[in-house]
Amino acid sequence: MTGFLDLYSEKDTFLHRLDPRVKLLAVALISVLAFILAELLYLVVLLCFILLLLVLARSSYGKAFFALKFVIRFMILITLLWPLFDRSGTPILFSIGPLDITEPAVWRGATSAVRVGCFATVWYILMFTTSQRDLVRALVKLGLRFDYGLALAISFRFIPTFGLTIESIKDAQRARALELDRGSILRRSRNYVSILVPTIVYALRTADTLALTLQSRAYGAFSNRTYLREIRMRASDYVALTVVVLILLLPAMAKYICGVRI
Amino acid sequence: MIPRPDADSEDRVIFLRDAKFTYESGVEALKGVTLVIDKGEYLAVVGGNGSGKTTLAKHLNGLLRPTGGQVLVMGVQASTRTVAELARVVGYAFQNPDHQLFCRTVHDEVSFGPANIGLDGPEVKRRTDRAIAIMSLSDIRDRPPLSLTLGLRRRVSIASVIAMEPQVLVLDEPTTGLDAREADELMSIIRMLNDEGTTIVLITHEMKLVAEHANRVVVMMDGKVVLDSDTRGAFSDLGLLRRSKLLPPPVTQLAHRLSQIGVSKDILTPQELVFELTRGDDQ
Repeated sequence: MTGFLDLYSEKDTFLHRLDPRVKLLAVALISVLAFILAELLYLVVLLCFILLLLVLARSSYGKAFFALKFVIRFMILITLLWPLFDRSGTPILFSIGPLDITEPAVWRGATSAVRVGCFATVWYILMFTTSQRDLVRALVKLGLRFDYGLALAISFRFIPTFGLTIESIKDAQRARALELDRGSILRRSRNYVSILVPTIVYALRTADTLALTLQSRAYGAFSNRTYLREIRMRASDYVALTVVVLILLLPAMAKYICGVRI
Repeated sequence: MIPRPDADSEDRVIFLRDAKFTYESGVEALKGVTLVIDKGEYLAVVGGNGSGKTTLAKHLNGLLRPTGGQVLVMGVQASTRTVAELARVVGYAFQNPDHQLFCRTVHDEVSFGPANIGLDGPEVKRRTDRAIAIMSLSDIRDRPPLSLTLGLRRRVSIASVIAMEPQVLVLDEPTTGLDAREADELMSIIRMLNDEGTTIVLITHEMKLVAEHANRVVVMMDGKVVLDSDTRGAFSDLGLLRRSKLLPPPVTQLAHRLSQIGVSKDILTPQELVFELTRGDDQ
């Protein structure tokens, strides 16, 4: 799970420099576009466009592979399972017992798979190119209460620390001859109590200390807080914003106003 | 007493032969460590943060497996044994007691280990009572361990390890966060365990503890053993200690300063320095 939070890498590409608010909007609009497009071909084009952006984000192969592994598995699963549940249309390609696999259903399955692929990978662009700090900053700037933004930032920040602590707790109990994967299910779940209790105690202690630390740094002393680094839209951000809006608007207009099948 | 690697294996409890370990992240934490630990030794493994001393210690009970070389525990390849099996021979008390305390009473906590290694009821009880007595926890045996002071929590966690009656006891920074008196009490109990025959492996960067208790010092730096000697020998080379990011106890530093007037450099305790100086006055 921590792998998903570790997708960001410090690089200097136009995607990294882009205002995080524009990136958030781009993710939202491209997701809407994936909904609007109904033809497999155009969805594949959109997916290729997103993957091109991922390449331009210059993420490491390891991280990209880790992230795409899940999407590809999911896409294959959808393609395979869709025709089993959707039996409408003709012609019937072949039958397995009572199951009829129809040609339109196969195409619909593939279309949905690519659409889901678009939804998932477009988020990766954001996660590959935006640090958690910038993301939270953007959300706060967009109107999220600072308290919630801070809570979000802190949770991101502590997930790896938590992971390490749980490893250490596991080791400490294994050193007392605890065998987590031995015995009956009842015995195993009891074994996990010895991991769970120290973890919860650690979490509560950390939260307590953290609250004191925040207070001692005058958190909440003034209601209108100032920021060291303001995010500001630059000319290039406006250009990107326009491009992103057009990417949604043009196909949407083609479909709903001109009635083109896309 | 420094054991030779070719010594008879009768007394040899732990033998690392060119042990290497690389973390998944690619960090080479052990770069070929050869180390023999004999029965009854009081060994201190010292070194700065990141020198590899905790990684080394985790190899002794199989929490980490060497990515190269071998680890033998009681003459048997550690790689063929589970951590639970090795835990009967090598007890490991972690630095932070809060990483292991979870039971309702001190008594339950201490009996967790012995129960895990499959002993019968009376034996679990005998070992639990013994460990509680050794660590002087009898008065608080029914208290919840998590509500105790840090000094007591650490004692409970060490009791929970010695209740398995291991031949080797690994202690990772046992005095961190303790006041002078708590630390002294704890260290004298550990001294007593050593006198009774338990082999002690003390991991620390607190050189005062080393000077007062250990009889052999292994200095680690950058994943390698840079010095393996008796305690006096380890304190005679201040340059090496400094390179290993270690600070000798003040009395040893003073002795080194006074070495021009004939004070010997391997002073470990204030008493020794007083003796050395008053002897000087007689001459």
